[in-house]
Amino acid sequence: MTRPPSDIPAAGVGEVDGQEEALTPAARPPHAAGLSPAVELRGITKRFPGTLANDAVDLTVRRGEIHALMGENGAGKSTLMSVLYGMERPDAGSIRVDGTEVSFGSPSAAMAAGLGMVHQSFKLFDSLTVAENVVYRAEPRRFGLLDRAAARRRVRELGAEHGLVVDPDARVGDLPVGLRQRVEILKLLHRGARTLILDEPTAVLTPAEADALFVVLRSLTARGRTVILVTHKLREVLEGSDNVTVLRDGRVVARLRTADTSGAGIAAAMTGREVELDRVHPPGTPGDVVLDVEGLSTAGVHDVGLSVRAGEIVGIAGVAGNGQSELVETLAGLRPVSAGRVGLRGEDITHASATERRAKGLAYVPEDRHAVGTAPAASVADNLAMGHHRTSLSSRHGLLPPSAVRSHARDLVERFGIKASTPDVPASALSGGNLQKLLIGRELAHGAPLLLVEQPTRGVDIGAIQAIHDELVAYRDAGHAVLLVSAELSEIRGLADRILVMYEGRVTASYDRSDADEATLGLAMAGGAPDTSAANDTPAPDGD
Amino acid sequence: MASALDLARIKGAARSRGAARIKGALRSPVTFSVVAGLVIGALFLVGTGADPLAAYGAVVSGSLGADGIGSTLTTGTSVLGMALALAIPLRAGLINLGGDGQMVLGGIAAAVTGLYSPLPAPLTVVLALLAGVSAGAAYAALAALCENRFGVPLLVSSLLLSYPATSLASYLVRYPLKEPGSSLPQTRRLPEGVALPAFGTSTVTAGLVLVVLAAAAYWFADRRTAIGYEIRMTGLNARFAAYAGVERKGLTLRLVATSGALAGLVGAIGVLSFPYRFLDGSLTAPGYTWTGLTAALLAAAAPLGTVVAAFFFAVLQVGGLSMERTTEVPRELTQVLQAIVIVFLAARLRFPRLRRRKPQQPQEPADPAPTAREPASQGEFA
Repeated sequence: MTRPPSDIPAAGVGEVDGQEEALTPAARPPHAAGLSPAVELRGITKRFPGTLANDAVDLTVRRGEIHALMGENGAGKSTLMSVLYGMERPDAGSIRVDGTEVSFGSPSAAMAAGLGMVHQSFKLFDSLTVAENVVYRAEPRRFGLLDRAAARRRVRELGAEHGLVVDPDARVGDLPVGLRQRVEILKLLHRGARTLILDEPTAVLTPAEADALFVVLRSLTARGRTVILVTHKLREVLEGSDNVTVLRDGRVVARLRTADTSGAGIAAAMTGREVELDRVHPPGTPGDVVLDVEGLSTAGVHDVGLSVRAGEIVGIAGVAGNGQSELVETLAGLRPVSAGRVGLRGEDITHASATERRAKGLAYVPEDRHAVGTAPAASVADNLAMGHHRTSLSSRHGLLPPSAVRSHARDLVERFGIKASTPDVPASALSGGNLQKLLIGRELAHGAPLLLVEQPTRGVDIGAIQAIHDELVAYRDAGHAVLLVSAELSEIRGLADRILVMYEGRVTASYDRSDADEATLGLAMAGGAPDTSAANDTPAPDGD
Repeated sequence: MASALDLARIKGAARSRGAARIKGALRSPVTFSVVAGLVIGALFLVGTGADPLAAYGAVVSGSLGADGIGSTLTTGTSVLGMALALAIPLRAGLINLGGDGQMVLGGIAAAVTGLYSPLPAPLTVVLALLAGVSAGAAYAALAALCENRFGVPLLVSSLLLSYPATSLASYLVRYPLKEPGSSLPQTRRLPEGVALPAFGTSTVTAGLVLVVLAAAAYWFADRRTAIGYEIRMTGLNARFAAYAGVERKGLTLRLVATSGALAGLVGAIGVLSFPYRFLDGSLTAPGYTWTGLTAALLAAAAPLGTVVAAFFFAVLQVGGLSMERTTEVPRELTQVLQAIVIVFLAARLRFPRLRRRKPQQPQEPADPAPTAREPASQGEFA
């Protein structure tokens, strides 16, 4: 897999600011010439209270192409797709599908017109078989009953035609995520979808699975189907798409031919300024061991050993759901340990409570910032006080003066560049990136010797990603130990001094950052790597 | 990245905060549901041929007029006490439905102490109050332990434990503690002097002062202490509080015990004021527990709001009686009003939650940023 030329400024970057000039005509795939576009949106405007989510957006998707729709969070991608798919009514504008003007009142109507959408969270019945899921609501019948044989046959036929091989009799709940996604695609094909909309399809896939997905998508377009790819991942857009439409603040800011553009060009269009992609930060200078884990087991985690030193970032790579969350939650004291030992600065904390661990020098940025990391209905000030409310902010008698909470909040808002109009607004009013800055700022402010960070930049805008990465590196350079869990390989490779790979609850590989190229890590993440004996002090677990 | 918070804005915000708060209160669903309750109640009255203005006028004059205010404050003492008992755990998202049982045990404990204490009367009163508080707290703690140890939801354990407590009290005053020669299921009258001091000749006692002090303590703890902060955060997001190390079981035990203590206090106050004895059913029949729960829900357990709501319901309860006397409108109307207010409130409790949850689907990296709302894809294949 080739990497995007990330540091070469794109030819088109300069055009981005002047809007009209930036709209270079999209390429027309030769075989589609003369046909009406698969999807044509004209002047779509959609207002939500206080927000103009889509402002006269035009989008033309030609038949047989893979068209990427890009933009940061809040740029209006999801709204636009909701409008197209009949989930939202536009305030203005027209929709044409295959040349016919349409107005969908529901997703069913959109499906009847040949559209199909694969949502980020799959809509499948785990307890049913692949065949049953695929034919659901469009079942082949025999004497009024489901014709299972025909359903199985249908899955095999469709699979053979498009290279989407799945066992029709497998229970969906038993399938890995990559195959479940195939079932979703088969479902759409079974219902005759000619245009497939995929919403962030690779978010849950390994690099290899993502590659396989693009092979499938290519074979679909080769047979005249059309794919709209909603994503924020530059690399797959560069490798997999024909044309790109970039949204920012509800408007189209660029229409680009993928062949003529670069990652930096698209990123600049998305953010409105130049950004440096995939920066690799200088390595740290490790000192004493801060976190020392031996043979740790708990539900979902088996015999994990690792250590993190002061002045070092250790990254844990892996496809989501391979025990990383469980490991970190156990280290944070939120899950009981069933075997093994955890040491923090030489002290045994295996069975210490979350509060005791924090007191001994641990801070934690959890993966789910809405459900765990913050109370969205509480004010920014209250959210920033958590964890500090028993220490620096309160008096000996357990008093917590509101003035102390507010000045603490003002301090952190200033220090970490959190954009909040006042500390009194509820945290739910912050954008994703700002909420994450709040969370990271609050935890960094403890100055704890050990920081656990999970998915620090998931769903965060490119600009905020840089700020967060810089904070983490600065924290490390101040002599703290950081354990980083991320599903983004580029993030791990840019930040971590050492990289561990988790697969099925075990640490299956560990690398020095210089030894870890993307292909090696991708293979290990897919469970393909035996334990490599890279130079580090991690006790080598038994390879499978 | 420059901070968006400059000093001028902070000052401006502080100044406008008061105004914003008033605006917010007027627009809040609480105001809406109270007004809606009054309007729908008026429609009922018109439908039955009564004059709504006269009826509401009778409620107000009957409860706040010279004849009624004493009665309203007496009722208000119990309603506010139970409202606080329900509000304190509710602030952390916990609901103690065992108020009746805890209150009755508090009453019995106070009655027994009052009858048998060898101490001088003033000390006996204090002791009886303490006994009532302790009995309520201990019994509520039992419900909390059922949740903490055995996983029985508090809602269930507190409610179910309430019945044996009221039955036990009922048994005690019918047999071992029964007043000899009386036909009523009641204890003997407390000895002379074993009573809460009253204000003048009214039925309002020092119990009102105790309950108001409890409300003040709740307000202080809620706004200005670390434990109050932890309680609020637990109520807003229990997982968030747990993540930061707030120990849930301990908090549950403490809050529910405090709640039971207040319920026991209400029971003890009821026994240490007129009729100065424990009469079976006299504590539970007026439905203070449910009115208190209603008030706590109406105020979303906020300290000041709970006080206001409790007073509002006390007015309705007392005013309803007077309305019945003067306008022939049955006092049940006030219960209808209460019910309508709650139905509208329940609707509020649902709407914002749905809106908040929709965009947060599992595995969804996209953030629902309200500044530029992108409704996340949520369409079913319907």
